[in-house]
Amino acid sequence: MKNKQFTATKFFNKVTSHYKIILTLSIVIMIAISLFIPKMTKDTSYDAFLPKDDPILVFRNQTKETFGLKDPMVIAIVNEQGIFNKKTLQLVHKLSDRLKTIPGIDPDEITSLSTENNIEGTDAGLEVDPFFEINELTDKKALEVKAAINDFELYQGSLVSNDHTTTLIVAEMLDSYDKKQHEVYKSLIRLLDEYKSHDEQFYLAGEGAVSGYLIRYIDEDAMKTNPFAAVVITIILIFAYRRLRGVVLPNIMVLAAVGIALGTMAAFGIDFFVITNGLPVVLIAIAVADGIHILGEYYETAAKHPESTQKELVVETMVHMWRPITITSVTTVAGFLAIAASSYMPPMTYFGLFGALGVFVALVYAVFMIPSAMMFVKPQLSKAYKRNQKIDYFGKAMAFVGKVVVKYPKAIIIIAIIIIGFGINGAFKLEINEDRIKNFQADEPIVKADALINKKTDGTSYLDILIETPETEDIFEPENLHKMEALQAYAETLPHVKGSISIVDFLKKMNQSLNENNTAYYKIPDDRELIAQYFLLYSASGDPTDFDNYVDYDYRLANIRLRMDTSEYNFEKPVVDAVNTYLSQNFNNSTIKATTTGKVTVDAHWINRLGFNHFLGAGLALLVVLLFAAFSFRSIWAGILTIIPVSISVLFIYTVMGVLNIWLAVGTSMFAAIAIGIGVDFAVHTVDRLKFLLNEKGLPIKEAYNEFYKSAGRALLFNFLALALGFSVLMTSSVPPLSQFGFLVAVAVTVSFIGSLTLLPAIIYLVKPKFFSTKK
Amino acid sequence: MKTKFIISLIAIGSLFPINSIGQTLPSGQSIANKTHARNEGISLSRKLTMELKDKRGKIRIRETTSIRKYFGEEKRLAIFYLTPKSVMGTAFLTYDYPDASLDDDQWLYMPALRKTRRISAANRGDYFLGTDLTYEDIKLETRINREDYNYKTIGKELIDGHECFVIEGIPKSNEIAKELGYSKAKLWVDVTIWMLRKADNWDVAGNYLKTIEITDIKKVQGIWTYHKIYVKNHKTNHETTFHIDDVDYQTKISDDAFTKEALVNGI
Repeated sequence: MKNKQFTATKFFNKVTSHYKIILTLSIVIMIAISLFIPKMTKDTSYDAFLPKDDPILVFRNQTKETFGLKDPMVIAIVNEQGIFNKKTLQLVHKLSDRLKTIPGIDPDEITSLSTENNIEGTDAGLEVDPFFEINELTDKKALEVKAAINDFELYQGSLVSNDHTTTLIVAEMLDSYDKKQHEVYKSLIRLLDEYKSHDEQFYLAGEGAVSGYLIRYIDEDAMKTNPFAAVVITIILIFAYRRLRGVVLPNIMVLAAVGIALGTMAAFGIDFFVITNGLPVVLIAIAVADGIHILGEYYETAAKHPESTQKELVVETMVHMWRPITITSVTTVAGFLAIAASSYMPPMTYFGLFGALGVFVALVYAVFMIPSAMMFVKPQLSKAYKRNQKIDYFGKAMAFVGKVVVKYPKAIIIIAIIIIGFGINGAFKLEINEDRIKNFQADEPIVKADALINKKTDGTSYLDILIETPETEDIFEPENLHKMEALQAYAETLPHVKGSISIVDFLKKMNQSLNENNTAYYKIPDDRELIAQYFLLYSASGDPTDFDNYVDYDYRLANIRLRMDTSEYNFEKPVVDAVNTYLSQNFNNSTIKATTTGKVTVDAHWINRLGFNHFLGAGLALLVVLLFAAFSFRSIWAGILTIIPVSISVLFIYTVMGVLNIWLAVGTSMFAAIAIGIGVDFAVHTVDRLKFLLNEKGLPIKEAYNEFYKSAGRALLFNFLALALGFSVLMTSSVPPLSQFGFLVAVAVTVSFIGSLTLLPAIIYLVKPKFFSTKK
Repeated sequence: MKTKFIISLIAIGSLFPINSIGQTLPSGQSIANKTHARNEGISLSRKLTMELKDKRGKIRIRETTSIRKYFGEEKRLAIFYLTPKSVMGTAFLTYDYPDASLDDDQWLYMPALRKTRRISAANRGDYFLGTDLTYEDIKLETRINREDYNYKTIGKELIDGHECFVIEGIPKSNEIAKELGYSKAKLWVDVTIWMLRKADNWDVAGNYLKTIEITDIKKVQGIWTYHKIYVKNHKTNHETTFHIDDVDYQTKISDDAFTKEALVNGI
């Protein structure tokens, strides 16, 4: 022990001797790495939640490529009087036309009443013509369009709402505008503003729009929450030390932790995801804690030894503090790494990795930068630490807590057991769910647009089913087409599946048209060659690329697109499961194969893993923290004691989530590992201090407790306040998952703090483990 | 003295830049007229293979036999599908009337239905049987439109080693542009045989739409005949190649071959 202390003294003597170069280096490195931050790109797409090589994602991208399916911008034009009038249809035409000129929009992939063709039977043939020609458009013609739509099942619900008050323009984006969806979104909003009209309302939603909106939304949110967190932290520091350097130094550490973590992220070309937005605030709250402990120790030492030089004071402080801050930092790093190790989803993995990096940077800056910076200034006393050792209100409050613990240890343990009971119950009832639209507050325009479009039309959530057959033109096989038709019919019976489209629908329509529009012929022809000839006939007046989205060029692959009116996992998952069961019973033989894909399938796939990853991450974090504590205290019992408060805090949160109906979603699922990594600090300090007071100093138990609460207790109180308030800042975020995450961690940290300062001492008081026993 | 002479030559040259050459070029309209004066024979039979390629590189091949005959100014064209098997026997017939105000007549015989379907009058700008050529392109083949464009001759260029006039055409009105699907055309016409060798087209919105290349032009039975047309749609990346073989202008084709009834029996 003595030897160790000697090494530490030597080390910090060296640090303080080279303070100029160390401080310069610290600042230069921080700035150099932070300079990468502006290069950061944002990825808010749902694809981002799966690794690029995930088979489900790879398959989906192949299907997207084969059929030219992209995440669309969906514009809804609503006219409560009905859309089938000259003026509204003119508007549809003008908007469809203007959309072609919007950068980022694929001019050939715009679908609306003015771009799509009507298939109509004539006396002796088939006519494929636009629903209307703009120069021939009259109110009478508009009514003919209405009749045509009434006759064209395929477009009911997908292009025009069943009540005829809404029509959609679906515009797909060019791949080159990935991660720039917000620019396209902005252009579209500007375009819609230009055509603002009295009778028609516009709504803009769809996957592309959600991604675009989200990019802007998280940007604005970061602009708000990050400065706010810094202000809150600064106020806490002012209260704690009432000194300029007490405020400035921890803030530099915070800047370094955040700047280097994000700068490294940008330098490695890793995207900024929605949840990454929470990272700066989290790091601000965590990084400041080390500063608080070091400065607290410094002012305490300065008050005790007014005769010491600055160098002596700084070295003495660091020799005392390096161990506890290293331990707490390592446990926090462990929490973040547990997330990285347990998560399959890149955004969470990176959150864990770069969170860990930030915490590590904070530790390095605490050990090198803070002592170096302190060497530039003269010794100083804080008003919070008076020479006569009189304790302030905070210290007194903590001392009171100590008295309560000594008086009612059993009651405290009983309360803890009750919390554990509720928590286990809550853990079993956790609801795993996710919905991308829930990333926004309910009153955002995108949320309203999404709700309206989902209500009025077949919805904007797509489940695609890829049909594969062995040979060219095998899709024409009536048996295969009947299977596809039956699959569509089945899928449409599932909840929230509002409609489906495939080549079968077009074919049925052609057949009807070619048979005097007789509805009895709205069916699949039973002759493979006839079907082939229908498509040839269609090509006599249609566009060569008309069916690109539904069938491949060899007529070997086809796509069935189911439309759902919700993007909530809870509703998507059962549909994917049901369809997959159906497919395994009716497809997947040597003549035809079918596979689910599309956004809904991708969602169901990754969200499914959230629950498992959550418990794995929490378990991993607990295990690492346990091993680390046991190792550093050289006692497995001390390790177990250490993790009791955090375990209770996590269980407590499960109860809170149940009561408040908070989902275990992307943001919230990370709370446990982080709460464990951070919250364990209080227990580490408690165990460390009590061991020191009881074991090494050999104080009688009541005296030791009194000492513990008024000094260490006070520092922990400020540490707790910084963390809890820092995470509370996240609660002001307008991104609900982040604000929920902030709330849950803040509550968990509170529970850990209370547990570490009540339950833990109570257990030690009652059980008197050997580990703490007074040396004889 | 010598230097002075050169300087004055340069000065004179700069006074008459490309204009001076321009004056020696024939007008675009006269070039258009010339392409129509060419001998195309009366009747023609040939093997036509359509090779269609989508942007992912997948290819559809359709082999056909095609016959064509002029009935005065009116042109009749029949196409009989041989492959793929699923469309074998399908036959397409079109009557192109010289009067632009008259809609062309088209029929398709579908063997699976044993019925001939009349195809409603296509827009001149509609795509022809799933190819990247429009009905107007098919109607003109290697000639160029005489009525609908204002032409400007912009120079001469070599295409595949053959000297061509380069002319630019702008449709005379927006209506015509819409009907044709083109807002501008740039055409390369062979200066000696008056055949179109290459064309660039822009869509109504002004986007670069497609390029047509007509190659393998050689004399068959004394008549200049193309054997390959390649079209690339720059917007969709769809491509069409027509391969022409077994060209025969001499075997007489009966007028009856160009009737709805004849479609049923094939060739």
